[in-house]
Amino acid sequence: MIKSPAYVHFLQAGLMTSVQDWARQEMADFGVPYSGVMDRLSMVLVNYLLQNPQNAAVLEMSQTGPEMLFEMPTRIAFAGAIADIYHNDKPVKLGTIIDIDEGDRVIVKRFRRRQWLYMGIQGGFETDVVSGSRSWYKGITPQEKVEKGDNLCYLYEERYFPPPPANSRIKDSWYRQSEIMVHPGPEWEMLPRLSQNRIIHKSFTISETVNRMAYQLVEPIYNSLESILTAAVYPGTVQLTPGGNLIVLMRDAQVTGGYPRILQVENNSLSILSQKRPGDKIKFSFVKEELT
Amino acid sequence: MKPLKIFRAHSKWIEISWPKEISAEILREQLAVRSFLEAEYGEGIKEIRMGFNTLSLKLSIPISPSDAQDLLAEIKELAVAHVSKFSKLWEIPVCYAPNFGKDLGKLAALHGLSETEVVQLHYEKDYLLHFYGFLPGFMYLGGLDERLVTPRKKTPDRFMPAGTVAIGGQQTGIYPMDSPGGWYAIGRTPMSMFDINRSPDHMPKIGDTVRFVPITVEEFTEMKEKTVTTL
Repeated sequence: MIKSPAYVHFLQAGLMTSVQDWARQEMADFGVPYSGVMDRLSMVLVNYLLQNPQNAAVLEMSQTGPEMLFEMPTRIAFAGAIADIYHNDKPVKLGTIIDIDEGDRVIVKRFRRRQWLYMGIQGGFETDVVSGSRSWYKGITPQEKVEKGDNLCYLYEERYFPPPPANSRIKDSWYRQSEIMVHPGPEWEMLPRLSQNRIIHKSFTISETVNRMAYQLVEPIYNSLESILTAAVYPGTVQLTPGGNLIVLMRDAQVTGGYPRILQVENNSLSILSQKRPGDKIKFSFVKEELT
Repeated sequence: MKPLKIFRAHSKWIEISWPKEISAEILREQLAVRSFLEAEYGEGIKEIRMGFNTLSLKLSIPISPSDAQDLLAEIKELAVAHVSKFSKLWEIPVCYAPNFGKDLGKLAALHGLSETEVVQLHYEKDYLLHFYGFLPGFMYLGGLDERLVTPRKKTPDRFMPAGTVAIGGQQTGIYPMDSPGGWYAIGRTPMSMFDINRSPDHMPKIGDTVRFVPITVEEFTEMKEKTVTTL
């Protein structure tokens, strides 16, 4: 079967549009963040719908979406944030397969709920692989975000598409849950009982400071901890700042940090947390480990 | 070996920690433990990440709390291998002229030293690369002269140009790319400190020694104009 390159042309870029895949994990030793999609559940879903390899690169969008023109036929699917999406002026639903024809136009307008929207494309985006990943990050990949006028490559292939897999519905309830599962971080035990109880039994509000590096939470915690010598941090590490704020590190997090690491958010919960918006409430609960 | 304890966050993340200090001795122990773990348990380890006094392990095979304690006991029995003799020396040219080291005067005044003394104290010492962090290619270097230890600025500067050599806390470092930063800028290197497409063999490794070599503005310009300015 012959595959030929085709392009998605961006008439409008949107505010924070980038190509992401699972993560770039082989260069952390040199200080390179993992990066990768903020919401892995949605990435898995669009690639599943399109019967792509699990790590096929997807388009991540936030707040304001792009306007796209497709050069050749393909198939796309959306998941994640609830936004107004139009395919040649017809509204499009999340979690469905959209057949694209030559010259078709797709516009993502208002974001109504959640933070990050994903568009998968048949076979995935064919942007540069840098150190084992296509995820865009400043200083690592040629680009950090999509600009107006950009063209992104995909492979066009004439083939028979099997019907979409069954059970392709998005479980909306995942994203409604406010319970975020965590493990204790290395400095958790150093916290006084009172602070520990506060962190586990009360809820926290997502602040206005949310980006691909970190989400800051509003409610302060009395912080009696000494600072630590710089040590490893990961996406999902919850840091306690000297000012008493909790910061949840996200996918673009640095590889090391100097603030106490009090919790570690479990992987699926981190995807769910990434979809929370400023003002949303969350509550931390410890994962009950099965003893084997 | 003097690792203090092992922390197990969950079955796939453990952290071995040493006393809270920045020292060459701890770095040597960390490197010895790392090579032991890679040799003995390589298959079960996804990633090893270092801090000043920590070794963080992401595992691909789960570990139980009691196995984690056994592992610590095993590590404590290890003898420190002579890893230091394999470490490489990297000479990094730095221009300490005032237009590059824009905080040199301020830093000298804080310590009651002359600018020349600050520069000399900085390049006369050799530094150990403990690990990379903060930015891609940003080296955490230990070994700063005590007389130069300076608390970070309260408000970080919005722009530190790539190549800026700076002092912050007990550390000195080089900003590999343009970035905001809270350290005191004392000079700049014409070298490109990080390029993702460069082979890791051409970059200083954890445990290597870094030495700063003072250069003039003319030399800086000359090196900068050359096409090859990588290490």
